[in-house]
Amino acid sequence: MGRDLKAIVAAFFIMAACVVLQSTILGKVAILGVRPDLALVVLMFVALRRGSMTAQVSGFAAGIVEDLVSASPVGFHMLLRTLIGFLYGIFSGNVFVDPLLMPIVLTIVATILKGVISGLVSLLFGLQSSGFMYFAGRLWIEAGYNALAAPFLFALLNLLKVFRQAEKEGS
Amino acid sequence: MPGQFDGFVGRHRRGVTLAILIAVSLLCLVISNRAVILRPKEIGLSVAGFFQKGVTGFFRWFGDTAGSIRQLRLAREELARARERLADADRTAREAVDLRRENAMLRELLGLAQVLPAQRISAGVIAKEHDNLFSVITINKGSRHGVLPDMPVVAFQDDLEGLVGRVIRVGLGTSQVLPLYDPECLVSARLDVSRFEGLASGQGAERSTLLMRYVKKIATDRIEYGDLVVSAGLGGLYPPGINLGRVRDIRAETYETSLTLEIEPIIDFDRLEYVFVLGVTGAP
Repeated sequence: MGRDLKAIVAAFFIMAACVVLQSTILGKVAILGVRPDLALVVLMFVALRRGSMTAQVSGFAAGIVEDLVSASPVGFHMLLRTLIGFLYGIFSGNVFVDPLLMPIVLTIVATILKGVISGLVSLLFGLQSSGFMYFAGRLWIEAGYNALAAPFLFALLNLLKVFRQAEKEGS
Repeated sequence: MPGQFDGFVGRHRRGVTLAILIAVSLLCLVISNRAVILRPKEIGLSVAGFFQKGVTGFFRWFGDTAGSIRQLRLAREELARARERLADADRTAREAVDLRRENAMLRELLGLAQVLPAQRISAGVIAKEHDNLFSVITINKGSRHGVLPDMPVVAFQDDLEGLVGRVIRVGLGTSQVLPLYDPECLVSARLDVSRFEGLASGQGAERSTLLMRYVKKIATDRIEYGDLVVSAGLGGLYPPGINLGRVRDIRAETYETSLTLEIEPIIDFDRLEYVFVLGVTGAP
């Protein structure tokens, strides 16, 4: 558990740092007002390397930070990150992640998944967010942008010892 | 029995944790949103509608692509006409700035009171929404600088004052502003020249236009492209006369009882660095 806890804390701080970067300087490199979701890429990496438990807990914690700095209701990002962390964690140890292709493919899928989950939550809770209009084009720009960043982020995160060993989990 | 429970939790640690985290998230959502829709019919409709929209959008995309060749020719003609209109609009904009300047001078000469609100709190933009799902602008002034929820926020760009949005959340040293381009930011609006009223709101994206709905159809002949749209001051949130944008398109559907105007915002949110929080809410 000590090693899991370390991974959770490290993942949380990295995702929180990504959120701060996204809300500030990454706005300068936004394409048509769309900025990359680096926290999502980090969450995916953590899930694939460390499994569902680490990813869902760290995703949940990072979601709290996101909900605090965002206009979203508290719980929105917590739910979103928990679900994505859990789902990607299922494939931990079962998917071979090469340095280039898989990060791109998995990131595109994760972004679409984010669009679907956020759209459904928006509908169910009657949220007037642009998540509703997410499929209108911004989703695809974000998917492309995230996919572009994924191989570089994966390479950087691979250097961190704390994420190296895959988690051995129960059911 | 406690032993069995511990055993179950131990065996299904991952699933139990997931269930707890989802339950906490949903509880937070319900509490913070205060309006969960838990009617099965509506939920079913919402979920089905989500997929219906997707399928319709997919096939419409194919239809649009097939029709795009013909559209291209029409677009070229439209472009030529739009360029002429743009030249006219530019002239009108320059005239409007001159008129405003002249108006300010005349007011000064006549000794009339300024219509500006009494207090303005200057602030810098320090952050924006971190993902692309919601819209918020964070400024570096909070409750200890006198900022309160629902205060209007304006900015100056190209010699014109334009509405940025309103304060929705206030911290000690920072505040969050709901920008004009958010669909939830509703502003009672008025056409500056013809004085027709409507309700303006955003479309969610930073670079998207605003939509001014519920404008009476009899206004069709009296609205020109490039007409200035200002806040009407109704509802008490925004003072009257703050610039919102200029008319870019007029939509007059035959089945609608009112017009919808597409408005190009005065404020370019990409370039937004400094804003003013209007210290006096409501009409001055």
